[in-house]
Amino acid sequence: MRFRWLYVLLFGASAIPFAAGCSGCGSAKGDPNTIKIVSSLPRTGSAKAQTDTIVNGIKMAFDEAGNKVEQFKIEYEDLDDATAADGKWNADRETANAEQAVKDPDVMIFIGPYNSGAAKFSMPILNRASLLMISPACTAIGLTHEPGDPGEPGIYRPTGKVNFTRVVPADDIQGPVGADFAKELGVKTVYILDDTEVYGKGIANVFKERALEIGLKPVGKQESLDYKQSDFRTLMARIKRDHHPDMIYYGGTSQTGAGQVAKDMVAEGLGDKILMVPDGCYEAAFIQAAGRDIFKTLQCYVTFGGMPPDQLTGKGKEFVDRYVAKYKVQPEGYAIYGYESGKVALEAIKRVGKKDRAAITEACLGIKDFDGAIGKWSFNENGDTTATTLSVSKVDGPTGDFKFVKLLEKKK
Amino acid sequence: MSLRYRAIPWTAVLLALAAAYPLIPALDDQLMRLTGLPIGGRMPKLFIYAILALGLNVVVGYTGLLHLGIGAFFGIGAYITGILTVPAYPFHYSLGTYEFLASLALATLGAATLSVVLSAPVLRLRGDYLALVTLGFGEVVRFALRNLPEITAGTKGLNPVPPPGFPFPAEWNWGGDYRFFYFLTLGILAIVLWLLWNLERSRLGRAWVAIREDELAATCMGVNSAKLKLLAFALGAGLAGLAGCLYAHKQGGTADPDQYGFNTSILALLCLILGGIGNRKGVLLGVLLVVGFDEILSPIMDSYIQRSLGQAGPEYLRFSGWRLAVFGLALILVMRFRPEGILPARRGV
Amino acid sequence: MHTLLAAGDASGWQSFLQYCQGGLTVGALFALIALGYTMVYGIIELINFAHGDLFMLGTFMAITVLSVLGINTATAAATGTGLLLAAVALMLVIVPVFCAGLNWTVDRAVYRPLRNAPKLAPLVSAIGVSFFFMNLGLFWNAGVYEAGRPVPAASPRAFPDLVSSANLFPDDLGFRLTGKDALVLAVTIPIMIGLTLFVKYTALGKAMRATAQNPTAARLMGINVDRVIGATFVIGGALGGVASVVYALYINTISYQVGFQMGLYAFTAAVLGGIGNIPGAVLGGLVIGLVRSLGSAYVGETWTSALVFAVLILILVFRPSGLLGARTREKV
Repeated sequence: MRFRWLYVLLFGASAIPFAAGCSGCGSAKGDPNTIKIVSSLPRTGSAKAQTDTIVNGIKMAFDEAGNKVEQFKIEYEDLDDATAADGKWNADRETANAEQAVKDPDVMIFIGPYNSGAAKFSMPILNRASLLMISPACTAIGLTHEPGDPGEPGIYRPTGKVNFTRVVPADDIQGPVGADFAKELGVKTVYILDDTEVYGKGIANVFKERALEIGLKPVGKQESLDYKQSDFRTLMARIKRDHHPDMIYYGGTSQTGAGQVAKDMVAEGLGDKILMVPDGCYEAAFIQAAGRDIFKTLQCYVTFGGMPPDQLTGKGKEFVDRYVAKYKVQPEGYAIYGYESGKVALEAIKRVGKKDRAAITEACLGIKDFDGAIGKWSFNENGDTTATTLSVSKVDGPTGDFKFVKLLEKKK
Repeated sequence: MSLRYRAIPWTAVLLALAAAYPLIPALDDQLMRLTGLPIGGRMPKLFIYAILALGLNVVVGYTGLLHLGIGAFFGIGAYITGILTVPAYPFHYSLGTYEFLASLALATLGAATLSVVLSAPVLRLRGDYLALVTLGFGEVVRFALRNLPEITAGTKGLNPVPPPGFPFPAEWNWGGDYRFFYFLTLGILAIVLWLLWNLERSRLGRAWVAIREDELAATCMGVNSAKLKLLAFALGAGLAGLAGCLYAHKQGGTADPDQYGFNTSILALLCLILGGIGNRKGVLLGVLLVVGFDEILSPIMDSYIQRSLGQAGPEYLRFSGWRLAVFGLALILVMRFRPEGILPARRGV
Repeated sequence: MHTLLAAGDASGWQSFLQYCQGGLTVGALFALIALGYTMVYGIIELINFAHGDLFMLGTFMAITVLSVLGINTATAAATGTGLLLAAVALMLVIVPVFCAGLNWTVDRAVYRPLRNAPKLAPLVSAIGVSFFFMNLGLFWNAGVYEAGRPVPAASPRAFPDLVSSANLFPDDLGFRLTGKDALVLAVTIPIMIGLTLFVKYTALGKAMRATAQNPTAARLMGINVDRVIGATFVIGGALGGVASVVYALYINTISYQVGFQMGLYAFTAAVLGGIGNIPGAVLGGLVIGLVRSLGSAYVGETWTSALVFAVLILILVFRPSGLLGARTREKV
């Protein structure tokens, strides 16, 4: 123990900040005229094509404002909350991104996340820092209002204040309208599957509730898939033999095996039935994973909490035109929500006119009758949008794209 | 030369440096401005992984048993912590402010106990068969965590885990200032290192090494190899559980079960192999290289590339996209040219 | 468990047979991959962790071959039967050659220098090779477009549906056997028989068995052990390559992560059958396929993988030598 003094010193040193109580820690000041906005989206894995267009949308919003609001220069950084190993979002990365945003004194707004499951991890961290979140895509109910899991949404708001907003309608609207539409299609029985995730299981559950209400019969036991499996053929064979439903509803995303579900339906002789999936599959990656050829026989409907890019009118259409002119490719479904998030972010900063996280958050929640690209809408006191336009599209095999079917409205 | 090198207690110097980092005023803020990354905020993750890797080192390094499922015990520690501290369970209310200490103790003990129960039947297996059984256990545990939503909340994970209470004052702002977790995890890491340092030079430590070098000979010399192996498993898993408990506190939740699968186990093993199996200093170096690569180097490089390109380019232009190739090549090269790691363990007679 | 209770009536038994058929078909694929593991282990006692990822790269090679021929998910249906057969045949030649070559190269460059190193060294190197292969698979699709949109890395991608999923039997028979199932059986069964005969009767096969039994003695008998080991890697790789093609045609998805899971299943199969034992690997593969299929049908989809791992653990604990393996004493 020749170096005992070193160890003593070490423990002594670690005690200093504890003894001092660490007053006035973390009081770094950034550049007073720069406001940084970060986004945290899954930029690796099959959601990348979708998030590429969201990021493009966000950038367009900033570019059109000249990257400037009042006296502030706007800086934007695009963070990744996914890893290649998972192929989708990862709790570790999302937490790290949130911490990074909190620590950076210039960051005033956090756009994201894309996945509701990820939001559960970043919300409490950002809430403590009163940092405004604007999600272009999270639709799970419990993030903003009841009824979610027990304790939701309070457990995400340690300060008791709201800091999470979203520009898309929640699943308590999307799930039920999906069920209503299925009934319109003449479906009598449905087999419901989910991917065990916050979003997928949540939307499958509300779909089921509504189905029971309107006399659409869920058959068999709702199964949760282990989406890392290479195939679900036995499951599909069993569904065909034991339950022969008119339709299968899969509460999941293209990152959690939706493509394989579609494929295995066809492979096990359920190709003449209907598959319905929620907006997590409203992206080219879903069709790429399933393969265009199977949609010759399989009818696949995708619900979406908004209007498809080619059906937008007014400001929305102008956005799509500008987008196509700039990027030479059609935007995916969520691009316009990225754009809208960017716009709302700038509006909130404009209203406050100073670099203050809490004030910006409050201003954003106070935005009413915002005349944006998706129409005129407001935030309610939970941070939810009042826009409730939803649509359903069908996968079109020959073009390998989604084809608009109709608008959906929430029925009472 | 080598004598003088040996004379310096590198571990202590490293720890002292780490302890000094947050004390230098504005250093972390400056680095944040320079790199865009809260390095101080990411360090607790390194310290936690260091504890995990040191735990694995007890099994793989000291005793020479290849373990591919340490991530499961990391997860068990995190989930025990979750069960004890989230408001959805009653313990949160009955334990009050003692829940931090209780979860620390129970996560460690729980993981250790479970490890003994699970590994007792497989002790007679050797080498790669044992490795596979541990791998299988790891995956079964991950599936159990996933598929029992009544207990573990499935893929949602248990949250929120509140910030540590007693013995720390309630007014400490754990989420707001990185230094609290920094010193907490560093402090526990230092204690673990000190314990292991003593253990290595004890009768027990020498017996473990004897088993690693030649189990038959060790048994002939009167070493009870089964009991000692079980002890190694228990200690390794206990440290992993401890790391898991700290991780859950740091993350404010248990994250989802996939966080505790094969990827985590192999990451910890990677730290050992690159740094030097059986050598505490080597393990610390390995953690710095491997976890530092993921947590610090990759984000800095990615952010730099993004700024130079003006946008997030295609995946293959991202530094983090090549992580598997880098780790893979590192493993192959180290095995070929320095099979005992960068800092090999001393093997004296 | 509802279905199990219903197993008493005729349709219950029919269902059971149907699930068995599905399980055995996938099991035949596992067996093909398991052969690669078991042969390498039998000869140099190395768990070739990278074998599953080699298989994964094979599936990527297969889709590349198809895209060179101009077949993709949009044009697959319009492709003539002649071209289709030619494409399948071409894949069945190119992909195994590619996998065999890659496997041989890895052995030469990575494992051979470690022949006399401690046992852990080649195993860890194999994990390294597996990582490296995964990264290759991750970026294999870089720059590929489908329907005017880029295919993101790490995204599962559809493999053109070239083989019919139509039932070969009339539907009212209550039993389905599709063109895909038939293809798997038509390719795998002859290969397994061929391999058994090869190992049993050819000179190289005998040399392999000799080397597996005792490398030193084999060398003394004038067998070029390094060549025999190289040949083992070539054959194992080629079998993996065949499995990739059949898998891609059967499951119709390629993903850079499929290697880990398929590899683990196949390895479990090899251990189950008694590692180093060729008929054992086949038997093990079929059993694992059955466990997976029946587990999904009667226990629940979410527990399928956990069941397979549980089987692995139980086998290793209670019968480490596997179903067909001979009990051997540890060499001291």
